[in-house]
Amino acid sequence: MSAETIPVEFAVYRFQPGKDTAPRFQTYKLDLTPHTPVLTGLLRIRDEVDPSLGLRYSCRSAICGSCAMRINEKSRLACETQVGAEVARHGRIVIEPMRNQAVIRDLVVDQTPFWREYHKIEPHLKLDPRRPMPEGKATPMTPAQVERFKETPRCIACAACYSACPAAEADPSFPGPMALAKLYRFAVDPRDTARTERLLKIQPGGLWLCMRCHLCTEACPKDVRPSERICDLKEMAIAVQGATEMGSRHAVGFKENLKDRGQLNEMKLVRATSGFAGMLGQLGQGIRIYRKKPEIMKKPRKIEGMDELEKIYAALDTPKKEGP
Amino acid sequence: MKIAYYPGCLAQESAKELDMATRFVCRTLGIELVEFPNFSCCGSGFIDEANEALNIAINARNLAIAEKAGLDVLTICSTCQGMLQLARVRMQDPAMRSRVDAALKPIGIEYKGTAHVKHLLQVLTEDIGLDAVKAKVRRPLQGLKVGAFYGCHLLRPADEMESESGEEPHSFEDLLSVIGATPVDYRGRVMCCGFPIQFVKPSTASNVAGRQILDAKRHGADAMATPCPLCHLSLDAYQNKAAKEVHEHLDMPVFHLPQVVALAFGASPEELGLSRHLVRTDAALAKVRAAPPA
Repeated sequence: MSAETIPVEFAVYRFQPGKDTAPRFQTYKLDLTPHTPVLTGLLRIRDEVDPSLGLRYSCRSAICGSCAMRINEKSRLACETQVGAEVARHGRIVIEPMRNQAVIRDLVVDQTPFWREYHKIEPHLKLDPRRPMPEGKATPMTPAQVERFKETPRCIACAACYSACPAAEADPSFPGPMALAKLYRFAVDPRDTARTERLLKIQPGGLWLCMRCHLCTEACPKDVRPSERICDLKEMAIAVQGATEMGSRHAVGFKENLKDRGQLNEMKLVRATSGFAGMLGQLGQGIRIYRKKPEIMKKPRKIEGMDELEKIYAALDTPKKEGP
Repeated sequence: MKIAYYPGCLAQESAKELDMATRFVCRTLGIELVEFPNFSCCGSGFIDEANEALNIAINARNLAIAEKAGLDVLTICSTCQGMLQLARVRMQDPAMRSRVDAALKPIGIEYKGTAHVKHLLQVLTEDIGLDAVKAKVRRPLQGLKVGAFYGCHLLRPADEMESESGEEPHSFEDLLSVIGATPVDYRGRVMCCGFPIQFVKPSTASNVAGRQILDAKRHGADAMATPCPLCHLSLDAYQNKAAKEVHEHLDMPVFHLPQVVALAFGASPEELGLSRHLVRTDAALAKVRAAPPA
C-alpha cells in the first residue's frame, strides 16, 4: 500500500557568483509522501524540473556526508531529513547552502576553510619511529582505551557542525568543531606519541574560542558531540600546560574564585583573566557598567557550609600537571 | 507550589533586578521560594572546562541540599539550569558517580538524584500553566514585539536538558503571547550570546552578540527578553560593543524574562529595577502604554 502524498513547497537558494547579481529563492512544488528524504525531493527537482540546480550528494544513506545543507535554517543531511516533519513544522522547506563557507553555486559551498582546519590538526597517528607498528598485526587496545575515543570515530566530515558554529561565523581563527573533535580523537589514542605537542599547539590555536553553545552537538548527524570533546580538550590542555591563555586563565581563575566565598567575585575574576593591564583596557566599559550596577565591585556574600566546599576541592582538585 | 530558589550569583549582585522581578512574579502566582544560604555558585561552565569532576561535585552538593528538604530546584539563569542539570546527567555515569560520592560521603552529603531542576520558564509554562499566568495579567503588553532569546544552556544538549525541543523551542514565545506581547520569529533566538568568551576575545564575543541583536531588530523586535542573566550582560551591558562590531545602531532594550511577565502583572518599572539596565527601556514601555486596550 502506498502512502498518501502531501503537497511540498521547496524554496531553494539559487546563486551563481560572478553571473547572478544577488541570491534569490526559487519555489518548486512537488507531491511527495511524508517520509521522502529532502534530498530525493531536490533530485526530482533537478532531474524533472530544473537541471541547472547545483548540489552535492553521493551515498543517499547518511554515510558519505556530502549532502549537508541548511534545511529550514538547521544544518543537517538532506538524505536523512524527511519532508513531512519539515512541512508540519514550517509549512514549507527552505533550502540554503551551509554557512561559514562561500557559495560556489547554489547549494555547493567552498569547503576550503573547513578542510584547512582539519589538516592543521594533523589528523593522523604520529608514532614513535623507534617503535613502529608491528607489520601485519593489530595493535591491541583495552576496552577502557577504546572507551576514551567516545563517539569521535563516527565523524563523517559532513561539516554540518562547522555550518552551525557561531564562533566560526564570527571569527575565522576558530578551528571549528570537527577539527577539534578530530584532535581529541588523536590526543586520546594510546598509539599516538604527539599528545603533548598537539595540546600545546591548540591552546593558542583557537581552542578557547569555543563558547560551549552546543550548536555543533545539535547539528551533528552522527552524535559525535564535538562541544563536549572540546570541553575535555580544554581540561587536558590545562593539565599539560597550566593556565597560559586568556581562556585557560579564565577557567582556572573561575575555579579558584569560588574557594574564597563559594560565590563568584566578579571583579576578582576579571583581574585573574585579564591581569592589571587588561583591566585597564576595560576600564571605560567597567565604569559604564558600574554606574548602573555598582555590585560588580562588591565582594559577594560568603555561603554557609564553606567548609564542605573546601573539602570537595581538597578531594577533587589536587594538582595533576602532566608537564610538557 | 513550594520550590528551592537557586538565584545564582548574578541575580544576588549585579543582576539584582532579575531577583526583584522573579520575586514579584512568584509572589503573584503563589510560588513559595525556599532559600538556602548554603547554595554555592554553579561554576558557570568554566569550572567544567578546568575540572569536570569538581564541577559535578559542586553541583551535586547543591542538588543534595534541595533533596534533603524534599524540594525541586528553581533556577532563573540558563547557565545555572544547564550546570545543575548536567550534574544530574553525569551522576548517572557509574565512574563519575563513584568519584564524586567518594568526595561527598565523607563530609556527610548524600546525593540521590531525586530533585528536579527547573528554570522559571519551565515552571511558568509547565507547572503553573499558561492559563494561570494569563489569569494574573493586568496590563497586557499589547503592541510590544519581543524577540525571545533562550540562552544555550537551557536548550542544549537537548538529550541532557530534559526540556522541550532544543531545535524548535516555543515555550518562551507561548509565554510572551499570553502576556499580550507579540513574539518575533528570528534565527538568533536559539543562538549563542557570546558571553563565555567576553574576557577571552571581546571582539569575537561582541560580534556574536551583535549578530543576534541585529537579527532580532531586522525581524521587527522592539525589545528582546532572556531567561539568562549572562545573556543579559552580553546583550545589554555590552551592547555598545556589539553595535561597534556589527557596524549598526542597535538601541535594543533587553528584559529579563520575569521582568516582562511582571510588567504584564502590573509591576512598576521601579519594582523591576529597569533603571539598572544599560540600554534604556523607555521606548519599549511607551509602546505598551500607547497600545489600544485589548
